[in-house]
Amino acid sequence: MTAEDTILLVEDNPADEALTLRALKKANIANQVVVARDGIEAIDYLLADEPSAAGRAQPQLILLDLKLPKLDGLEVLTRIRSNQRTKLLPVVILTTSVEDEDRLQGYRLGANSYVRKPVDFNEFARAVTQLGLYWLVLNERPPRVDYLRSQIRNH
Amino acid sequence: MTAPVLIVDDSVTVRMNLLELLNGAGLEAIACASLAEARRALAEQTFALVVLDVLLPDGDGIELLQEIRAMPCGGKVAVMMLSSETEVRDRVRGLTTGADEYVGKPYDPTYLAGRARELVGRGSDQPSPSQETILLIDDSVTFRNELKSALEQASYRVVVAGSGEEGLRVAADSRPSGIVVDGVLPGIDGATFIRRIRLDAVLRALPCFLLTGSEDRSAEVRALDAGADAFAVKDDNIGVILARIGAMLRSAGDRPALGGTTSLQGPKKVLAVDDSETYLQQLAAALSSEGYEVILARSGEEALELLAVQQVDCVLLDLIMPGIGGREACLRVKSVPALRDIPIIMLTAVEDREAMIAGLGAGADDYMAKSSDLDLVRARVLAQIRRKQFEDEHRAVRERLLRAEYEANEARTALEIAKVRAALTEQLELKNAELEIKNDELESFSYSVAHDLRAPLRSIDGFSLALLEDCGDKLDAMGKGYLNYVRQSTQHMARLIDDLLALSRVTRSALERSETDLGAIARGVVARLTTAFPDRKIDVLLADGIVADCDCRLLTVVLENLIGNAWKFTGKRDRARIEIGTIETIPRTIFVRDNGAGFDMTYASKLFGVFQRLHSISEFEGTGIGLATVQRIIRRHGGRIWAEGHVGRGATFYFTLEAGSGAAVVAGMLGSEPSLSTIAKESAA
Repeated sequence: MTAEDTILLVEDNPADEALTLRALKKANIANQVVVARDGIEAIDYLLADEPSAAGRAQPQLILLDLKLPKLDGLEVLTRIRSNQRTKLLPVVILTTSVEDEDRLQGYRLGANSYVRKPVDFNEFARAVTQLGLYWLVLNERPPRVDYLRSQIRNH
Repeated sequence: MTAPVLIVDDSVTVRMNLLELLNGAGLEAIACASLAEARRALAEQTFALVVLDVLLPDGDGIELLQEIRAMPCGGKVAVMMLSSETEVRDRVRGLTTGADEYVGKPYDPTYLAGRARELVGRGSDQPSPSQETILLIDDSVTFRNELKSALEQASYRVVVAGSGEEGLRVAADSRPSGIVVDGVLPGIDGATFIRRIRLDAVLRALPCFLLTGSEDRSAEVRALDAGADAFAVKDDNIGVILARIGAMLRSAGDRPALGGTTSLQGPKKVLAVDDSETYLQQLAAALSSEGYEVILARSGEEALELLAVQQVDCVLLDLIMPGIGGREACLRVKSVPALRDIPIIMLTAVEDREAMIAGLGAGADDYMAKSSDLDLVRARVLAQIRRKQFEDEHRAVRERLLRAEYEANEARTALEIAKVRAALTEQLELKNAELEIKNDELESFSYSVAHDLRAPLRSIDGFSLALLEDCGDKLDAMGKGYLNYVRQSTQHMARLIDDLLALSRVTRSALERSETDLGAIARGVVARLTTAFPDRKIDVLLADGIVADCDCRLLTVVLENLIGNAWKFTGKRDRARIEIGTIETIPRTIFVRDNGAGFDMTYASKLFGVFQRLHSISEFEGTGIGLATVQRIIRRHGGRIWAEGHVGRGATFYFTLEAGSGAAVVAGMLGSEPSLSTIAKESAA
């Protein structure tokens, strides 16, 4: 398993984190999961200027909660989409909210999917399984941006 | 350029004078000496006005008037009869044949010119009333131009005249809102000018501003004595003069104009009525020399005939005449509203007490003996004309006061209304602000319900399941059962939250009506239910063409709830049946009927309340919010919802989507049903 198969889970609720990890495990998704517990942590992980971050491969999927301390999910999404390095990353909003306004803003800001967390754990586990199957197996990720850049430079 | 004026008169003097006069008034004029000449001129070109003498060498002027009126466009030509004839017969004949004006000779040149201009239609290109016009009369071109440009800068429209005579003509012609006149002028001076204005029925209400050349205090007295409304010394700063003119116009702003519009500053007309030709001629001579235009009538009949076509300023009436006597004539004049203000002076041959009483009893304004000195006649006529003028002015003042009072009242009322309205608006705004705050609170409440209450539920459910799965071997059957209860309750609460949110969303979102196929929505709902409960065997009867003007999204919620309920409550039926159809009432009623558990009509009113359930959870699960949501949606459409049911025999839910009493018609159609009395019973919640 390479670093590129990492899933970034942005979730402040430890119980939800545990449940999501359990659901991923039940779905036999063995990718490494990095957990950011607020919006700033997520942005630091993705966009920090330190060399370790710059060189680090980007996660294959971001599971983003909307209600987060410090920096909320929509703000995190805005920053991801406005940065060259992260703008093409698949972002799935995984939230409790089905408010029209949240959904609309989420898609407007460039979310790839919007999934509501069901209360029934069995349903939740089913949802996570399908997400994993789709985004980690079925879906072809976009080519890496800096890889493309180097290709262009070589020509 | 307007069409010219045609002058028809056999007197060279009159023709020359009229040509000069009309040209001076800015009118082009052509003069003819005979009817034949005039006919040729009329055949050649169009005239705006014909000034027509009555007695002409080759015929009668009135004949020509008839011909003019008979011409295709003869109605548009104004005709002014001009005659030395004092015969009432001619006057009446002229005016009834269609003359616009009848002026006696000797004529007043200023009046004639002004009237001519008016008849030619110069009045039509008057400025809009929104801009105040000021007539400025001064013979000094320098001062005139200086004041004119200052006034124009103050956005007045200014017309000018170089002399009092010209001023009178311009005033009659342009009807200014105010006059500024120099005290010292060639010809008639400023004070005289103002006096002339004050004597004119139409112009006398005009505010007049007198300019004097000196600091002499007596100038002010003279100015005010002449009837000026305000005055200024010419040496004053022009700004001061402007301010004073402005103040004068403001204070005079609502002064009503009195009198008929055709009365200009022409000579006063006196109608003398007497059967004695000698006495008539004496009267005519005495009054003409005073500047009155005298019309002579030989009988009461003639006098009445004339008064029907021409207004006069005073009537001298002989008491004893053949035919209608003076008394009868006086009675008749005084009984006509339009004429009764004309002063009548009764004349008798003798100083007869009874005759005097008879005359005054008939409504005469004054009475005098024919034997009186003609100077006395003149004085009495003048006194009567003045009296009438004073009366008119009094009436004007009274009207002005009444109007001021009325306007003050109106303004007060308007102010009160405005105050009340302002208070109401303020209240309304406060309430609106409160409401907005409450709405915001509700919004954030719903949001936290959606997020913050659901998250812990998910944990409870998730970890209960984790416990069952991961540590199940450490739990006995009872422990596992308890955990299952925990999970069931959690999931029920999640549904409650979802339903509450749906209910609040119904109120928050805007209603979007469109032509909606309710049948298609119902089929979709049934298909979803069939997928979710593949074991159920239900006959669904769906009527064709259930289309309604409604909010598609909200009606989906309605049908999901109603059909979902029917599905749920027929769960214990072997042969379950759900019917969805319409009843052609006005407005149309739509119904969802099932043969399920039904309900007791006693509790029908509780059906639509939030959290109201008529069955236990163990019997039929549910949150008790669905029908409250449905009712709210129907009400937002302006419609009604009601239900009928019997325990064990099913339930029917009826609804309409527009205002109107669909229920009454349903009741009429289903008159034999036993449960009817409660059909229309709708939830009070």
